[in-house]
Amino acid sequence: MEVADHKAPTLENGQLADENADVLQFMDSMDAYFTLLHSLSSTLRQYQIQGWLELASARHSMGAYRVNTVLLDHTSHSAATTLLVTQDEGKVDSVEPRFTLCKWGSSSNEKFLGEKQSSQDQLHPQLRHRGSTQLSEEKTSSENKASCEIDDQVQKGRSKSLSVFGTLVSPKLRSAQLSFETALETLVEMANARSEMLYAFDKVDKKLGDGKE
Amino acid sequence: MANRNQIPTSNSALIAMIADEDTVVGFLLAGVGNVDLRRKTNYLIVDSKTTVKQVEDAFKEFTTREDIAVILISQYVANMIRFLVDSYSKPVPAILEIPSKDHPYDPAHDSILSRVKYLFSAESVASGRR
Repeated sequence: MEVADHKAPTLENGQLADENADVLQFMDSMDAYFTLLHSLSSTLRQYQIQGWLELASARHSMGAYRVNTVLLDHTSHSAATTLLVTQDEGKVDSVEPRFTLCKWGSSSNEKFLGEKQSSQDQLHPQLRHRGSTQLSEEKTSSENKASCEIDDQVQKGRSKSLSVFGTLVSPKLRSAQLSFETALETLVEMANARSEMLYAFDKVDKKLGDGKE
Repeated sequence: MANRNQIPTSNSALIAMIADEDTVVGFLLAGVGNVDLRRKTNYLIVDSKTTVKQVEDAFKEFTTREDIAVILISQYVANMIRFLVDSYSKPVPAILEIPSKDHPYDPAHDSILSRVKYLFSAESVASGRR
């Protein structure tokens, strides 16, 4: 009887420890979310305000008829800035998505150039046995070439987006574009913080629901 | 055992927007605008003439599209369809309430915080103790 009595509390303690761990994880993620939300809201508002002011300034210098939604491209076209959505494979039965911003197709370009680089490395494995200086110089020049190609792609994307409002646009419109790009990065961080918190919240909520039953 | 709760992964998912003109134009400058072959856009510009029904329909459409991963909605617009936003619970697309030019962000109205708040309410704590 005494042995059974000792075993029952151990089982309950184990279950309690699991529940406490989930609650702690939720509290941590919520704290992180609030902290991030506060700082990102300020950053977002800062870049949005900056963007709005620059947009208003561009409208003032270019004219309201040149910076308005009537000029938006309504023909079929794909977004140049998209999101990469992945699932956190480390978690069992995870519903926590991770978002990665791909600005002007840059992440897909980096992946392509990375694959090109690795295939070139495979074709010339003997280079690894030569002086390390030569190898690092060759790597640096190929990396520079890759980054130049990505920069060109990004600049082309930006120019195409601005061209909706005419060939010659105000520098303020270009600045507004950069401000909103930064705001987008901030928003993707917020989306990731949100999904992390919701994942922890769902775990705790489920445990509470099971406990009531 | 296969995961029951799979989320749709994608390498080129869209960002949708339901916001005022300047916010939408700004993010379109950042390259998020998409128009498909049926001329359907991934944004709705909300102005004084936009009805609640139009906002509702756009929200419902964007939340059911598989190619959209995040929906940016101005908080004052979300307040127009608060019941719909608060009842939404899927992980993707993620709904982000953002401030607008004339309406700063108010955490009290955020749908995520509303969901979490009840965990700390007296009723929830009391029912857990029974």
